Amino acid sequence: MQKACDFAGCNHSGSVDSCGLNKLSIGCSGCVVSVGGDPEIRRRLLEMGFCNGASVEVIRRAPLGDPIEFRLRGYSLSLREEQARHVTVAPNAIG
Amino acid sequence: MSTCCDTTPDRSPTSTLTLALAGNPNSGKTTIFNALTGLRQKVANYPGVTVEKKTGRCHLPATGTDPARWASIIDLPGTYSLISRSPDERVAMEVLRGLRADTPAPDAVIVVVDASNLQRNLYLVSQLIELGRPMIVALNMMDVAARRGLDVSPELLSKELGVPVIPVIGHKREGIDQLKAAIANARVAPLPDFPLPREFKDELLTVGTGLAKLDSGEAASTAASSGANKDVPLGIAVPPRAWICTDDRSRHLDRYQAIAERLLIGDTASDLSAVAARDPVSSLLASSRSRLATLGIEPMQADIEAHYRWIETVSSRVTIPLDELAAMGNPAGPGDVLHYESPKRRHLTDRVDAVLIHKVWGLVIFGLIMATIFVTIFWLAKPIMDGLQEGIKALGLLVTGHLGDGPIKDLLKDGIFAGVGAVVVFVPQIAILFFFLSVLEDSGYLARAAFLMDRLLAKVGLHGKSFIPLLSSFACAIPGIMATRTIEDRKSRLATILIAPFMSCSARLPVYTLLIGTFFVTAGAFAQAGIMLALYALGIVAAAGTAWIFKRSLLRGPTPAFILELPTYKVPQATQVARQVFNNTWSFLAKAGTTIFCLSIILWAMTYYPRLPVAQANNVAKVAVDRASEDYRQRLIAQGDGEAAPDEKQIADKAVGAEQIRHSIAGRIGHFMEPALRPLGYDWKMGVGLVGAFAAREVFVSTMGIIYSVGDPGEETADLSKAMRADVRDGKPVWTPLVAVSLLVWFVLAMQCMSTLAIVRRETGGWGWPIFMLVYMNALAYVVALGVYQIGRIWFV
Repeated sequence: MQKACDFAGCNHSGSVDSCGLNKLSIGCSGCVVSVGGDPEIRRRLLEMGFCNGASVEVIRRAPLGDPIEFRLRGYSLSLREEQARHVTVAPNAIG
Repeated sequence: MSTCCDTTPDRSPTSTLTLALAGNPNSGKTTIFNALTGLRQKVANYPGVTVEKKTGRCHLPATGTDPARWASIIDLPGTYSLISRSPDERVAMEVLRGLRADTPAPDAVIVVVDASNLQRNLYLVSQLIELGRPMIVALNMMDVAARRGLDVSPELLSKELGVPVIPVIGHKREGIDQLKAAIANARVAPLPDFPLPREFKDELLTVGTGLAKLDSGEAASTAASSGANKDVPLGIAVPPRAWICTDDRSRHLDRYQAIAERLLIGDTASDLSAVAARDPVSSLLASSRSRLATLGIEPMQADIEAHYRWIETVSSRVTIPLDELAAMGNPAGPGDVLHYESPKRRHLTDRVDAVLIHKVWGLVIFGLIMATIFVTIFWLAKPIMDGLQEGIKALGLLVTGHLGDGPIKDLLKDGIFAGVGAVVVFVPQIAILFFFLSVLEDSGYLARAAFLMDRLLAKVGLHGKSFIPLLSSFACAIPGIMATRTIEDRKSRLATILIAPFMSCSARLPVYTLLIGTFFVTAGAFAQAGIMLALYALGIVAAAGTAWIFKRSLLRGPTPAFILELPTYKVPQATQVARQVFNNTWSFLAKAGTTIFCLSIILWAMTYYPRLPVAQANNVAKVAVDRASEDYRQRLIAQGDGEAAPDEKQIADKAVGAEQIRHSIAGRIGHFMEPALRPLGYDWKMGVGLVGAFAAREVFVSTMGIIYSVGDPGEETADLSKAMRADVRDGKPVWTPLVAVSLLVWFVLAMQCMSTLAIVRRETGGWGWPIFMLVYMNALAYVVALGVYQIGRIWFV
């Protein structure tokens, strides 16, 4: 299994260059590369600040596994996995 | 300077000033609205949509140039953006653009900005700037920002935006007077040069020129034919920003470029949608979009990114990390440095969340909190509800006591006072539930509860926030359905409302107890509990199934993104909580209460009229009394003395009561429905019981009591059980355990509660959804009860 970022606790597999936000492990962070999905969801995600290479950190997952809490631009919000996967990030190793 | 360019609100003392209060959800907007308006608030609905319209009045003190005056403030729904399709955001945008006939266009906008979440809040500000209305910023939650190690400078922000920025701490009412005083200084912010890609700007010029050309061409042709729309040839009712002040050189976009931008990014509010759809315009836009696409530019994304680039610059200029201030030898620094914690330490919310949404502890604490709410509304509210009803009954007796027997007395006692009782009985549960809801919401826990439960509910297409409404519905669907107001997504909210009545409410319990206790006596306590549990489970399964189906049929379509903000924890304010409880209880009494009251009078009349002719009543009474005294004589012979003689009046009353209900409209409906109910195993008496149950499901028990001439049984149902078991028709018992099961299934699944229908009408804004609910639930109940009875008959006979 290939590690996508240098963070010690991270064990997700996938491309080293970029991956879906939902693939990032807890404690990892990444920079937004692109946002997909249908126009309404895309607009919403962009408007919430998932743009311009913003740094997003994975804070935690809900006890049942979904949704996932993220921190970006100094605030936290949570997304369901099905929405988080529309955001592609380039993992960075801030941790 | 032309008069249209007056950038401050109308100063004439006679005019009423209209202000709009805008802001992100969780920005503390409501607190500021309450602080500004106090108790001078009005809550209504925007016509045609189920968006709540809150307005209030605020007294503005005299300033240098203005006399003291009143302003009306429109509290817009909390929004992240002004472009989206959600009803809330649409309403906010339409009010701000002055497109709603029901709401005056605001003279100025107060925008609440959460300083601890500056960037995302500035996004809405950037859209408001484009709108071009006079604006003033209320910079809220500076204390929270300071605790996170950030100091946002109001002075610098004011300089960047070009509008007044007033620091406020909403929940402490700090800065509110300054905000009021500054409203006179609201002004149109200069339009920033959002860093759009150069190619996009070129394209705006191209499209803008194209639009201008179309406009002049059309103007010539339409002006000749109709004469109307001479000034607005493209049919644009409201000027985009650049139109307000054409002579302001700082506004670099001319009006057609502004329109072109709105059209390209899909910001087609009602003023532009017709324009966008018109052929020359739509083809102009399509070709422009394809040209941009070849350059890899998507207009919507380019627009949002440009806004955020500007925001990033502004926020870096106005925010000072307190660490740096300390390093500069200024430990006191501006802002609330007393509460300053180093950003390297996790702040309080994070530490609390580590427990409250912990994999194990989070669920345990959640369970405890939900159990507390449930126990409180299920059991603790009960004595208050009983007390209220008894009190109103006693009051009714007191008022009607001196009246002679007759329809007037009965109308007052059993119609009007009972109707009032039927309404106020819900008040304790509603008040208690909204107390918990507002404490949970204000503290920030409600969002965490949704976070914890979302996975479970997402499986059937619901939202994490559906959990508390559904849980509450086990006590009563009325407060449960009202609690769906916390669900922002309309479809999830509607789906939750539609399935909430499947949760077995406390009004069903007396029916369950009566039927199980009467027909499964021999089964033992364990099996009886099992049946009870199965009934609850059946409701849950039906709810999950129908929700799943609705989200794939009726409520299909793209679900808006699930975005759940986890706000900073706060201590709830007692006044806010009290206001929430009062507002919601009052809105129930005023809006749904009247409907429930009217329906309960109609139901009373249905069991009261037509009256039994006096001769027939006397005859029935005589027969009953004769039979009772004959029975008494027989028993006396058999057992010897010791038994008291039966109360003749009571026996006569019970017999007449039973005959009266048989004679009434409800009785006739029962008889009329019997052919339809027979396949389910019911006879006309149960039909009458079902009609009576519309007032409240537990009324089924008392209706049965009256029909079986045992009187209203109250808690003591032994006589009724005996009478029901003894009821024989054509030599066969009317009631069998199978009939009881079929009826229990009916009670789990059927919509037979007028109060629920009234509240659904109130919450969905029309009779359409409640009627749909009535039809689909009763159809489902009928089919399942039919299946149970018919298959059961094959099985057991």
